[in-house]
Amino acid sequence: MTELYPSMPTGPSRRSTLRAAGGGTLLLGLGLAGCRSAVSEASSDPSGAGAEPKRGGTLTVAVNADFTPGLLYSQSQQSSQHRLIFNTLTRYDDQLRPKPELAISWTYADDGRALTLRLRDDVTFHNGRKFTADDVVFAVKNLQKPVRAAQLRSTAAAVTGFEKRGDHELVLKLAHPVNNLFDLFEFMIITDPESAEDAVTGRKLIGTGPFVLKKWSPGSGLSLRRNENYWQPGRPYLDGVELRVIPQADALISSLRSGQSQLSFNVPGKNLGAIKSDERLSVTDYDTGAGAVYLGVNTTVTPLDDKTVRHALAWAVDRERLLAQTLGGHGLASAAPWPTSSPAFTEAHRTHYSHDPGKARELLRSAGHTKLAFPLLHLALPGETAIAESLQYDLEQVGVHVTLQPTDPATAQKKLISQGMPALWTLGHGFAQVQPSTLAVSAYPFNEAKNTSRYRSDEYTDVVREAWTEPESTAAAANALHERISRILLDEAFIIDLVVRGQVQVSAAGLHGVTLNKFSYLNLDDAYLV
Amino acid sequence: MRGYLLRRLPSAVLVLLVASFLIFTILRLVPGDPATTLAGPDADAATVAAIRDRLGLDAPLLTQYVHWIGSLVTGDLGPSYAIGGQTADLIRDGLGATLELTLAALLFVILLGAAFGVLGATSRSRWIRSAVRVTTTASLAVPPFISGVLFVLLFAVVLGVLPPGGRVAFLTAPDLAVQYLLMPALCLALPSAAVLGRYLKDGIENALAEEYIRTATAAGVAPRRLLWRHAVPNALPPVVTLLGMQTGHLLGGAVLVEAIFAWPGLGRLAEQGLVSRDYPVVQDLLLLLVAVFVLVQLVTDLVYAWLDPRIRWE
Repeated sequence: MTELYPSMPTGPSRRSTLRAAGGGTLLLGLGLAGCRSAVSEASSDPSGAGAEPKRGGTLTVAVNADFTPGLLYSQSQQSSQHRLIFNTLTRYDDQLRPKPELAISWTYADDGRALTLRLRDDVTFHNGRKFTADDVVFAVKNLQKPVRAAQLRSTAAAVTGFEKRGDHELVLKLAHPVNNLFDLFEFMIITDPESAEDAVTGRKLIGTGPFVLKKWSPGSGLSLRRNENYWQPGRPYLDGVELRVIPQADALISSLRSGQSQLSFNVPGKNLGAIKSDERLSVTDYDTGAGAVYLGVNTTVTPLDDKTVRHALAWAVDRERLLAQTLGGHGLASAAPWPTSSPAFTEAHRTHYSHDPGKARELLRSAGHTKLAFPLLHLALPGETAIAESLQYDLEQVGVHVTLQPTDPATAQKKLISQGMPALWTLGHGFAQVQPSTLAVSAYPFNEAKNTSRYRSDEYTDVVREAWTEPESTAAAANALHERISRILLDEAFIIDLVVRGQVQVSAAGLHGVTLNKFSYLNLDDAYLV
Repeated sequence: MRGYLLRRLPSAVLVLLVASFLIFTILRLVPGDPATTLAGPDADAATVAAIRDRLGLDAPLLTQYVHWIGSLVTGDLGPSYAIGGQTADLIRDGLGATLELTLAALLFVILLGAAFGVLGATSRSRWIRSAVRVTTTASLAVPPFISGVLFVLLFAVVLGVLPPGGRVAFLTAPDLAVQYLLMPALCLALPSAAVLGRYLKDGIENALAEEYIRTATAAGVAPRRLLWRHAVPNALPPVVTLLGMQTGHLLGGAVLVEAIFAWPGLGRLAEQGLVSRDYPVVQDLLLLLVAVFVLVQLVTDLVYAWLDPRIRWE
């Protein structure tokens, strides 16, 4: 038998341990005293405090997805940098009234087939080139190319001619009147034509915006510095902006709570409760309605081809519980797609369907069904799975058994575009936040000509085309068209809207002046840190 | 040796070829494609077709495969479909970040493992030995994704002394880089350090129980000299082998830790590439991993052959 030798070596003695610890502490102290702190480097507020706008400081924005150059000309998961590097022609106010940006003024022709734009003459691109009408011509033609995958391509394609009147006046000629041209202007970033091909590979991003691209590090994010020659005098206040990619929600929240980043729009709804109790952070809701949660129905699957069955599903869902439990209460339970800022919004449409399982069962019985079973496709992400499970529970209560089909985003996207969805699916949609006609001409689930639900009706096509091409309608006429679209959407229920979501901003208490446009492009022209 | 190497090379090339074909085929079998991802949720068929055409996805699969292998041979990996930039640049940047994290973790594994082993085996204090035992057990039991969150909460949110995530490249600003590295590297290293510490502790204890130590002690050799000159060197060989194995674990574990600490390494790149069906990035990345394993195997075989000449003639 072996045993440890009684007078075995004792390892480091107490004296040597203390000596080593002391030396180590000294070295560490010397080392760290001489070097910068990563924490204080990251939270580089300008010195001093006060409510007045202050120049200086670098703002770090935590984003959950990296910039995707290939999607520069379309709305993607991450469009925060668009309005930082580039400008748009106009921007909407809260009542969807266009306000000047690179375009100073505009006039429609009487027949609605032409729009004359007057452009700013004091704007230069980051490379020093002057901004002219040619850049607007390029921007529109660029979005007409299918390869750019711009969601507002159909509106851009309605522009069939350009008439330049000098360098800063331009007439856009339309194939037919369209009433969502200012949606296009809100969406369309003005890029330098010469570097357009380099822009879609991420090599160069040259615009006229308040910030200049310093560096894009794929996977890490974008680093921007102030444009010293910005056309708005004295703006921006910030020295720079860092868009830092933090895909994991917990890490993103830690980054905000530790002051490492000062702004994010990607905190999941269920985590906002903890954020609200942190006095260093504030939470702001934007009623942009840039996203909505819906239950999609494949109208070619029996018995979902029967409208009564679709109505039963719409009555069966508890939207308020879904909102409270899975989205942290941030959003608006609604049977219609419109946010409150939309001209199509009415309280009656929002509450057209409420939670009434008894009525749902009755409708199913009247259609000859007591038990039904369907697959339900959803994204295999934690938040989306919770929404699907909530729907599964509600539908089960009325006798509709649902089998969940968790699917990765790329596959779901392919099925959405190729009309390959199963009987039911739940996803999000956008485009209800601007002119109502845009939803039906630009959002695939609602497209009158071809949509995922495979729903078609002449009445829907007629009203959508009329709403899109009615240029000079009075408010009453426009409202009548919106009313007809909403009525068809609610009555046909091929897309059953559940919750309208705005953007939820979490920001450091010292950050002021942040805004978003209707397509969630971040605007920091007037932002400052105190 | 040269002959042995020449005999082994064809099989290594064959493995890479078969792997490349499997990677290419399996990736194409996964539903969803880059064109629909790039086209966005509101695209129409014309948009998808235009993008498919631009990316060359209309060509027959065999043509696409040959084109890919050709690009690999010429060293031009081409552009990424969805992430943007050149695939080679993306992989190079990610590889740098992952290697940096793995090397820092390896340093922690060696330092902590040595401390656990030596203190656990030689300390006369029952408290210290118990503390080492509890620490190693906890390090082994708590997975990095838990310890990572706890570290962030303590050091970044409560104490505010370390950044919760992100990276500054070591060569750009070493003083900042070290602070960004500390938590992820420690988190990644703890389980491996615990394993290493336990092996070392057993090794030292066994060595100290050997007869020659007893003799040396009787001859008046100082205990410190006995420990560092005799016991530790004798306990090291199996520990070095284990360290090699743990390095593989570290590389694998880095993927998870990268997500927690927003570390832009290969794990993050692979996830990003898969989600957007960015074929060039995922293909090249997977083949690179296979190549690394093939290379390690080849080097191991060569070292064995060098150590044991009989193997060369088998």
